[in-house]
Amino acid sequence: MINQHRRTQLLELMTQRGWDSILLYGNAWRKDPFRSLVNFNFSGDHALARLSRSGEVAVTFSDPWDAENASARLEPEFARAFASGASAVAGLEFMEERFVAACGKLPVSATADVEELRRVKTAEEIGYIQQACDLADRGYQRFVEVAEPGMREFELVAEVEAFLKTNGAEDNFMLIASGGTEVVGMKPPTERKFQKGDSVTTELTPQVNGYYAQICRTLVLGEPSKEQLQAFGIFSEAQRAAQDLIKPGITAADAARAQNDVFRKHGYGDYTGAKYTRVRGHCLGLYPDETPHILEDVDYVLKQDMVVIAHPNTYLPLSGYMVFGDTLLLTESGNTRLNKTEKKLFVK
Amino acid sequence: MKRGLITWDKAELPPSVFEARLAKAREALAEQDLPALLVYSDVWRSDEGRHLTNYMPYWNRSLIVIPREQEPVLLCGLSPRVYPWIKSVTIFEEIRPASKLVPTLLQFCSERGWTKLGVLDLSRLTHEIYAPLAACNLVISDVKLELTDEAEIAMHRRAEQMAREILTAELPKGAGLTDYQFSGLLERAFRRAGAEDLVLLFSTGDSAPRPARGAMLGDKYSVAVALEYRGHWARVTQGLPL
Repeated sequence: MINQHRRTQLLELMTQRGWDSILLYGNAWRKDPFRSLVNFNFSGDHALARLSRSGEVAVTFSDPWDAENASARLEPEFARAFASGASAVAGLEFMEERFVAACGKLPVSATADVEELRRVKTAEEIGYIQQACDLADRGYQRFVEVAEPGMREFELVAEVEAFLKTNGAEDNFMLIASGGTEVVGMKPPTERKFQKGDSVTTELTPQVNGYYAQICRTLVLGEPSKEQLQAFGIFSEAQRAAQDLIKPGITAADAARAQNDVFRKHGYGDYTGAKYTRVRGHCLGLYPDETPHILEDVDYVLKQDMVVIAHPNTYLPLSGYMVFGDTLLLTESGNTRLNKTEKKLFVK
Repeated sequence: MKRGLITWDKAELPPSVFEARLAKAREALAEQDLPALLVYSDVWRSDEGRHLTNYMPYWNRSLIVIPREQEPVLLCGLSPRVYPWIKSVTIFEEIRPASKLVPTLLQFCSERGWTKLGVLDLSRLTHEIYAPLAACNLVISDVKLELTDEAEIAMHRRAEQMAREILTAELPKGAGLTDYQFSGLLERAFRRAGAEDLVLLFSTGDSAPRPARGAMLGDKYSVAVALEYRGHWARVTQGLPL
């Protein structure tokens, strides 16, 4: 349950910063700061780990079932868990103000420091992400098998969600869209029925033992149009450009530019900005949208054993919103694609 | 995470319900002589915003501003590309992009000439919002609201009915399965019925209920279902044998 590698890293960080203790806080949305040290999938509202300079880890939950299953302290009045104060807190930003006030003296935020430690994955963490990638691949296979004209978006999501949970996913972050050139982005599923000719886009992000991996693909129901094929050619070329480039030493900006330059080359540079897209990728780990984001103004230098997804997802007037991306592990001199799903425009 | 069907059935929750709730919020503002109410909303802390506006963030954080004299405005961390969808499932007519929430809020307050602001449940505001607000010139005050009404209770009843009926029908099917397999079966049934969010915990009597972990369920087990139906939670636990 305790990530010993992380504990060692945190103790070194505490020495560097002169901190006597560090708290790692998680809530039902942002479990990741807590789980970066204590990889326990809590189901209640709040969890807190306290690491002291001696190396001792004390864990407190707000929910009695979590406390019982983890043999940890229960504190239903969770503000009391902060009564001893702390030098620093990872997850401070997500804490309710009453918890911060209960610390007494305002702690320093350790969120950025801990996120930096989390970016470079251990072999064990990479193993979990590979399992999540394998599940994402199988989940997408299920997506393609089940999708058909007449089915509603939320019914397809139900089928995929069921498949992923059956096969061991703790959770899954999933967006979807369907239709043609009127579709400008993905969102939660609606009651819309799929129609022949639709582009059906999805971002699947299953979580295994705390760690997320992602796949982005587009499925066309029926024979793809010339425009859908042309659009996919551009997305494929952009993703390939990023995958060919990504290695330790390049920046997130380089990886974004490589993708955007392909759109510019084809005359679609206007569709690489915030009006039509969000990011050209992001890191993955205990949170499905870890930083740094792959954007042209992010100068973060990528490192070996980071896990990123490069996805040139955007709107194009040719075909509407389209997605395409794979999870990549940075190796010593390049990257390894962790997804095995065929890199193509899926057609059914 | 919330990834099921997010919708607004106006036969189930008519706009008049939200008008009444906003009127109650405005009464509270008038009592404290405040020009507007701020409601924080994120993927997990969505109940208050949903009650007042039917807004359900599937991702990211947002701030809801309810002026005493004008219509509510959503300061939204999500992309403007999804605003048409948000408008289709909420009461909002005005949504402002807010990748930086607090600066956008302060700009908005400045435009309206507000020097003070009410905050729903101030002590529960997240630190990243609270700290810069407390440090600026705006005077912020705690506002408490009673967020229960007949429509709210009726929706919780629907959620409870859905949870109970589906769990009763599906519960025997878990015998001999792993908790992973059974959670898949339950996910399909609940999500196809329109569940927005779902938390499933299992016990075979040797531990407190816990998330699935690949354990065999055998022929004696219990399942705790926390189900969210259109923003309204219900929790039902049943065991086998029934």
